[in-house]
Amino acid sequence: VSTATVNTRFAPDFRAICGREHVTEDPAELQAWEILGVAPSLAVIPASADEVAAILRFANEHGLSVVPAGGFTQQQTGNLPQQVDVLLFTTRLTAVEHYDAGDLTVGIGAGCTVAQLSAMVAEDGLFFAGDPAQPERCTIGGLLATGWYGPRRQGYGGLRDYCIGVRFVTGDGRKAKGGGRVVKNVAGYDMMKLLIGSQGTLGIITSASFKLFPAPRQTRTFVALFPSAAEALKFRTHVLRSPLDPICLELVSPEAHQMLAPGSPAGAGWSICVRAAGSDTVLDRYRSELGQAVVREMEGANEQGFWRALEDFSQIASERHPQSLLVSMTLPVADVESVLRHLSALAEANRFSFAAIGRVGIAHLLVSLWQAPGAEASMVSFVNTVSGLRSHLPPDVSMAVLRCPAETRHHISAWGPMPTDMESMRAVKMALDPKDILNRGRFLF
Amino acid sequence: LPVNLPGLVDHLRKIAGRDAVLDRPEDLMLYEYDAGIRKSTPGAVVFPQSTEQVSQIMRLATAQNVAVVARGAGTGLSGGSIPQEGGVVIAFSRMNRILEVDVENQRATVQPGVVNLQLSEHVAHLGLYFAPDPSSQKACTIGGNVAENSGGPHTLMHGVTVNHVTGVEVVMPSGEIVHFGGKAAESYGYDMTGFIVGSEGTVGITTAITVKLLRKPEKIATLLGVFESVDDAALTVSAITAAGITPAALEMLDGWTLRTVEAFCHAGYPLDAGAVLLIELEGLREVVEEQAIAVREVCFGQKAREVRRAKDDDERALLWKGRKMAFAALGRVTPSYYTQDGVVPRSQIPAVMRHIGNVAKKYDLVIGNIFHAGDGNLHPLILFDMRNAGQFERVLQASWDILEFCIQCGGSITGEHGVGMEKRDLMPLLFTEEDLDVMVGLRNAFNGAGVLNPQKIFPTPRMCREITGPTQNPVLMQEGL
Repeated sequence: VSTATVNTRFAPDFRAICGREHVTEDPAELQAWEILGVAPSLAVIPASADEVAAILRFANEHGLSVVPAGGFTQQQTGNLPQQVDVLLFTTRLTAVEHYDAGDLTVGIGAGCTVAQLSAMVAEDGLFFAGDPAQPERCTIGGLLATGWYGPRRQGYGGLRDYCIGVRFVTGDGRKAKGGGRVVKNVAGYDMMKLLIGSQGTLGIITSASFKLFPAPRQTRTFVALFPSAAEALKFRTHVLRSPLDPICLELVSPEAHQMLAPGSPAGAGWSICVRAAGSDTVLDRYRSELGQAVVREMEGANEQGFWRALEDFSQIASERHPQSLLVSMTLPVADVESVLRHLSALAEANRFSFAAIGRVGIAHLLVSLWQAPGAEASMVSFVNTVSGLRSHLPPDVSMAVLRCPAETRHHISAWGPMPTDMESMRAVKMALDPKDILNRGRFLF
Repeated sequence: LPVNLPGLVDHLRKIAGRDAVLDRPEDLMLYEYDAGIRKSTPGAVVFPQSTEQVSQIMRLATAQNVAVVARGAGTGLSGGSIPQEGGVVIAFSRMNRILEVDVENQRATVQPGVVNLQLSEHVAHLGLYFAPDPSSQKACTIGGNVAENSGGPHTLMHGVTVNHVTGVEVVMPSGEIVHFGGKAAESYGYDMTGFIVGSEGTVGITTAITVKLLRKPEKIATLLGVFESVDDAALTVSAITAAGITPAALEMLDGWTLRTVEAFCHAGYPLDAGAVLLIELEGLREVVEEQAIAVREVCFGQKAREVRRAKDDDERALLWKGRKMAFAALGRVTPSYYTQDGVVPRSQIPAVMRHIGNVAKKYDLVIGNIFHAGDGNLHPLILFDMRNAGQFERVLQASWDILEFCIQCGGSITGEHGVGMEKRDLMPLLFTEEDLDVMVGLRNAFNGAGVLNPQKIFPTPRMCREITGPTQNPVLMQEGL
């Protein structure tokens, strides 16, 4: 089915499902929603899980590929799609399913943005722990599907820890759910785990329930500065072995610090940024435990701005260096140092500069690499850098290339090897999306 | 299907060794039940000593279409480890080694037969521990914890088993040995590790488990809030949550239960109280001290008669002794009791406690309550005597009534015990036919022939459309741990 045929043949069917004004086939408009250069042939904006199910059943009957979309903040990640028949926006699914401030739980439509949810619960002194880049655009559905997390992962856990329920439509158009709205629940399979980080390839999330947290009344950030990554990581280990329980524990490389807080004296070295919550007494304790290495303390708007910039690192780095790699790595805590050493050597050999941040108590690294000033522009060196990184990773590390220059896209796999058995993952995919409707070609298979 | 049992047993002996298979009726009797009284006799019990042997056993069972169930210590309450009649039990008591303790990464890799508490004891000298702490932690195994996604008192702050497992080695029904995850907290790809935890042995058999080890807190404070009524204590639970304090544990004992417990183990609970709350706070010293003050204020704001704080480890241990010995204490006053495992949103605890009180009156039963109040996880204990047939029917009705109320409140039918055989026919109250169809499809993707732990979690087809009331015996607990 060519793109044009999809337009003319199926638009009326989708209009019958979602209503006239919620289907777009205007090529100019659709061009704005291109994914790695591939424009969708049609966009639909369903208003309910039933409509999502109807769309997916129709797509199954006709073999159409469907790309779920929220705020389009991470949509340029993944392998190149061959074609996008239907772009399905979840942005009209914004209803509050339940909000129980006293219980510290909320259930919300997948199309609600993280900023909207945060603002809603902030009125009751509560706090949603998800901290994606661009929260004003990032939707709850997109956050879950990408499994994205930021610095708060240290203190609050990840989505897999505080997402307590999910409703979704499987690739073959069945409405389903997992979990519920209570904080402890083992009835049925844990569907949340499968959907979180599934990159939209198993089902389209229509709503989800979360644990909320009491918003800290006061926070403070302590920045400790070191001449090398190794020394910074030694300090990280000191913090991890202390009784301290920080909200965030972030490594920031010199280049990253310059990028996020230009002119900051901390840009002179590798820093460990410790964010703590609590009373004056508690914060005093942090100060004394952290000791001499701390060169700077932040609070209030300064502190907010700093962490917001860290959360937006992927965006800021890509804007600063349009021709760059953005690499994300999950790894055992003890491997951070050797991976960074390897990264550094490889960057030097290929004449790249890099900026790295990481929640190094977890551990997760985000690295931006771009060609050093004066280096001869060469797409091959991007490809070599990625393969050089991948070929030396310790066991249990998984590495995704979230962004790369368009010219290299065909030569760089977005995902690379994973520690989890491929055939088992394929069995899950076949059980939920047997016709490979969802995000075809963009993730594992 | 008729099974050539002698042939099967010979095969099993060839795989695991002559002394590693039981098939005499008097031996098999020991493997026909779990912590309840539901019984079903296996045809053979095999004790593998390696993953490779488990794989060969699975291959054999699949080839011969014999049902297999993995078994840890058999402390489960939902029938998860009950075999199919004549099937094979794979007992993990000989795969009980701690394979690795990785201090730098705060991970341990263990075989499934390692006893929960043994892991914490093994790493205690490093200042580390394994957080999930089911009441049966002196006996239950980590393999069983993984299968059931077990909880415990301290999961209020630290989460249940799934929040502490980062990687598993699994033998699939085909016999293939696969790995999910590893030492990293998360990795790219589908979270198969998270999926298999709590799948109640219906997807694969875990043969090695990588878990997080937590650092022991600097300070622990244990408080006992004493209340005139269950209602006041219940309101305090939601008030503590609403005040933004997350205790490490927040347990409630009602008056009847605390008197029964006190008579048995002298934990120091006041005999004339309507209910007590056992509240534990942990973390940085300064944080704990501030929270202890705040908790005390909340308790008194909800009409607490008294709030005591354990002065030292001995006093702390004594307060916990009452909680942990409760099930043993009950054994002295009743021939049998049925432990329920409902969950409600925390703000609904006062309502559900009133409802349980009404249910006890309505069905003329004694119902004690000792439970994980902080996360809304109820454990009503319904007393009965098996010899009294009419009473037994009322126990089932009462239990059904309580769980229905939990669901009406937006809750769940199980918080930590699992669905197993006990609650599979209640699943349609929580899940639509299509929800269940999706889950069954996932099970069948791995375990299509139903060789692995059949008849668990999912309702029998008849029950899918039509709910008529409890028709099956629940798992009945005679002696708790």
